[in-house]
Amino acid sequence: MHPFGSKTSQRAQPVALIVLRTLIGWHFLYEGYYKLILPAWTRDGHPLARWSSAVFFKAASGPIAGLFHRLATAGWTPWIDRALETGLVLIGLSLMLGILTQIGCWGALVFLTLVYLAAIPVQGAPQAGSEGVSLLVNKNLIEWAAVLVLLTFRTGEIAGLDLLLQRRRKTVAEAV
Amino acid sequence: MSLTPEQKTLGRRNFLKALIGTPALAALGTTAALKGPLSGGPVKAAMIGTGDQGRLLLGQCRKEFIDLKALCDINPKRLERAVDGLTKLGWPKPRLYENWKDLLNKEDVEAVLIAVPLWMHSEIAVGCLDAGKHVLCEKMMAWDIAGCQRMLAAAHKNGRVLEIGYQRFYNPIYQAAHDNIIAPGMLGDIYFARLVWHRNGSWRRTEDPPPPPYDPKPWGYPDWEHLLNWRMYRQYSGGLMAELGSHQVSVVNWFFDSHPSSAYATGGIYRYKDGREVNDHVYATYTYPQGRTAIFTSVQSNKFDHYSEEFMGTKGTLILRGETEAFLFNEEDSKSTTIEVTKQSSNPVIDASESRAADAAGRTIAGDRTDKLDRLASYGLEIAGFCSAVRARTPLRCGPERALKSATACILANESASNKIAVPIPS
Repeated sequence: MHPFGSKTSQRAQPVALIVLRTLIGWHFLYEGYYKLILPAWTRDGHPLARWSSAVFFKAASGPIAGLFHRLATAGWTPWIDRALETGLVLIGLSLMLGILTQIGCWGALVFLTLVYLAAIPVQGAPQAGSEGVSLLVNKNLIEWAAVLVLLTFRTGEIAGLDLLLQRRRKTVAEAV
Repeated sequence: MSLTPEQKTLGRRNFLKALIGTPALAALGTTAALKGPLSGGPVKAAMIGTGDQGRLLLGQCRKEFIDLKALCDINPKRLERAVDGLTKLGWPKPRLYENWKDLLNKEDVEAVLIAVPLWMHSEIAVGCLDAGKHVLCEKMMAWDIAGCQRMLAAAHKNGRVLEIGYQRFYNPIYQAAHDNIIAPGMLGDIYFARLVWHRNGSWRRTEDPPPPPYDPKPWGYPDWEHLLNWRMYRQYSGGLMAELGSHQVSVVNWFFDSHPSSAYATGGIYRYKDGREVNDHVYATYTYPQGRTAIFTSVQSNKFDHYSEEFMGTKGTLILRGETEAFLFNEEDSKSTTIEVTKQSSNPVIDASESRAADAAGRTIAGDRTDKLDRLASYGLEIAGFCSAVRARTPLRCGPERALKSATACILANESASNKIAVPIPS
């Protein structure tokens, strides 16, 4: 038996990695897109207020909550908001299209680290507005680990625009 | 960089192969079919007419729905009062205009709220609609039927939202009564509706004019009295029938899902012979299809009865009183039931409970147990509903077609009272 499983599972591994990358990319992309288009309206006619990172920072409770609280009141909120919104979209596009994939993965890791540190689940009890119960390990941390897998497997070399650019460079180099 | 044809073919193939390796394209394609939120903030709006009714509407505007940019009124004192009211509520100071045409030329707004005297509704609303603005116009729709029709045509031609300010359509009590009592047939067959709006007062207002050289003549009013008390003069107003009756007739049309086929009205200036031209007592009988009748009375000499709409069916009676309370009486056991509107969900929910029967005077103490709604909140819901229609194209609760029918009924009732004949109402 091959150390990485049968031939079928070997063929499935890159596909699984790309599916994982695409789903995480979509998660980031839509999160950023949604924040960028706010204020907006639901289809049934309810207004959706403009998003502000200040709300998120003010609610921070983790070990670096003090830093987040200072950020919320430092007067940089509009700049931070725009940077986060744009960053989320760029990370999402990077992962979905497989362009600058490694940089996109690093960006995703940094973002998820911030989100995790801002609200580490230490209560082990249901929290208002969140699904299920977590103790230390929550969905943000799992997504962080999933991005780490994408980073270490260099999925841009499996499929995506990175692969296309790499092949084009190779073709041009050979032609020269 | 120049590529050989072979390189181009290879490059295209590689591109497709690389993308086929990801579900990204499929996912992006799918998003087109998904329904996400609609971009856009609060509806940028202006208000034309900042008298009592205009200021009432301004007080009910919510910032998440509407962004008030400008106000317009031919009376500088009222404009000033409106600005004071808005700034006290935390709104930034709006830009001010005397002439509504200047406002339309200079302001980049999406919608206009109109609360001017009735005779100007049609001209201003059509002007706004033709300028590409959405319009929420106070009731009655227009002074005459032709004006109503021009407004409706302008809304259709320009593809803009036109709502008429019948706030009962946005009142949760009325919605609950319609959806849970009238529509399921809880009252049985309804043959009669009684509409009462009685008051004991002159309806006349007193207020000092703006300081000289203020002159209302350029705006079509010979003097300050005609501007201040425009409701008293036929050239500007439809009297009690338009200002009060149109609200109640529109509810009957809604609940009967119909409109009257004829009107017979009487009335006159019996008490206040003060130079007014509109009747201070009005009695109108409307004939509806299927043997139904609605009678509207409005007197200015007695206020014992609170204003109400009463629907009398073979199985029960529904009374909607003062826009804040609703009562349901079972015909069989004469038990009264209050209707409590709860806020359990986005839609109003009624919770009917038996309570004490009406007393000998036809009144009930059930009203004491009813959760009274804030009457003015309906105006806020109306503005919110209008903004939702502008942004998300959600359906209007009243809409210009319905408003045209109730306005037609009221205009023809006035004609009936003037000519002392029954007037058929065209469909």
